[in-house]
Amino acid sequence: MSPMRLIRLLALAAALLPAAAQAEIVIVTSQRSGAIELSREQAEKLYLGRATTLIDGTPVKLVDLPNGATRDDFYLKLTNKNPAQIVAYRSRLVFNGRATPPIEADNVGEARQWLAETPNLIGYLERTDITSGMRVLLRLP
Amino acid sequence: MDSFQNAPALPPRRRRNLRPLLAAILLSLAGSASAADEPPRFALSGFGTFGLTRSDKDNYRFHSSSTQPSTMPGQNFDPSTDSVLGVQGTARLSDKFDLTVQAVSRQAAGYDYTPHITWAYLHYRPTPTLSLRAGRTTTPFFMFSDSLNVNYATPWLRPPAEVYSLNPFSDLDGVDAIYRAPLGQMDLEIQGLVGQSAVLTRSASGRLRNARALRVGLAGTGFSAQAGYTRTDLHLNWTDGFHQALRRQLIAAGEADAADELSGTHASAEFFSAGFQWEKNNWITIAEFAKRKVDRYISTAHGWYLTVGHRIDAFTPYVTYANQNQDTPAFCTPVPAIHAPLVGIYNNSRNTAQHSLAFGTRWDVARRIALKGQIERITPAPQSRGLFPSDTLADYLRPTTPVHVLSLSVDFVF
Repeated sequence: MSPMRLIRLLALAAALLPAAAQAEIVIVTSQRSGAIELSREQAEKLYLGRATTLIDGTPVKLVDLPNGATRDDFYLKLTNKNPAQIVAYRSRLVFNGRATPPIEADNVGEARQWLAETPNLIGYLERTDITSGMRVLLRLP
Repeated sequence: MDSFQNAPALPPRRRRNLRPLLAAILLSLAGSASAADEPPRFALSGFGTFGLTRSDKDNYRFHSSSTQPSTMPGQNFDPSTDSVLGVQGTARLSDKFDLTVQAVSRQAAGYDYTPHITWAYLHYRPTPTLSLRAGRTTTPFFMFSDSLNVNYATPWLRPPAEVYSLNPFSDLDGVDAIYRAPLGQMDLEIQGLVGQSAVLTRSASGRLRNARALRVGLAGTGFSAQAGYTRTDLHLNWTDGFHQALRRQLIAAGEADAADELSGTHASAEFFSAGFQWEKNNWITIAEFAKRKVDRYISTAHGWYLTVGHRIDAFTPYVTYANQNQDTPAFCTPVPAIHAPLVGIYNNSRNTAQHSLAFGTRWDVARRIALKGQIERITPAPQSRGLFPSDTLADYLRPTTPVHVLSLSVDFVF
């Protein structure tokens, strides 16, 4: 079976399972990033706009997936906020100039491409979506 | 489907989005045009509200700010109080520089909706803990000053007017520095600002010169608090009929020195505010106190509010009690007793003291859209009309009564 067929089959299986939204989510960065370490607390601070750097001071940028189950699941797991709360919270930060929001990818494919190739870019994906160019920083089961 | 249409089987460099022209220009300005597979460096977003407001009395038209000119009968549904539309663009020029511009359209004192530039600043981060900004930012007078127009971000329909009407100046042209540092489990933020500002209200034009402000904020999970203090020179020119009448009368009576105390360029003002927000187990509490202290031209006053809300699925019902008190009237210069009646009306027309109890709810109907409804009972202070200004002398001679105000709105971000 070719890898492409396998991916298609897995995607199909995932789509048929109601538990798909509960898939494991991982926070990743490119292999091209330096020796990045990320704690859960710091990840929450980054995604809530309360920090723009890692604990060691390295500036990082963030990627958001487009609206959907994975994104909602990620924020619920990391910040305990539902989609409406996140949008409201984020809109205040963005429109008061305090924080630039994560860069929103048009689709998972775009996010994967960015995350595999751009140094010091951090993002989240379903564990099954990670590729060889990435390194897992944190798991959110 | 997306997840495997763009699987790594595609040559990575082939895929390139067509970004808006502005993004392309900014990108090339930033000298990074080769970044085909990197995330875009330009973000455009916006926010807005369409709202309707009415009271239960035709001669009480509700205004949440002195910049609102509407003279529509109070019982008509008026879209001009809360409706607003804003667009914001941010360009990342490099890791350390970004540029933000925001334009907002809402009814101004001249009845027009001409977009107004509310943000236009260059942001420089020399270190991860320090931000320097130059250009137009917002005044730091209140806890929600920096997102006043973004109703989507807050649980209530609008920030409580008893506090937020104490100061109509919203833009600050100048520079500021923000320093952030962790403090235990929380984050400390210290902001210093210097600059100037101008505003046009329904009955005055004002300027702040040489404004100096300091803000301290503390934020943790579910909790934030802040306090701010500003000192400034104030220029204020009243343009309303009561002012013209009193000024004419004083000058005719040989009281030109007293007339010069009505308005001019020699006031100094101080503003103080402190507030907190706390969110736990779906309970939301917001409270704030603010004081305006001015040595002439306008009253010294203070206000506070307390909001408690509870999130139940998509609904967040809330209750707010708010209060504004006048400490000293606008015109305190001793003048002969013959002027007392007109001085009394003049001062009452500048006293916006009132208290109110509001019940409302937020309803998150869809992603990025919230509907809100609020009913409030507003009681103007005796001999004042609170936030229901009038140009009619007779309105200030009648005893004031409690007024009920109904507001409905849809808030959105994009």
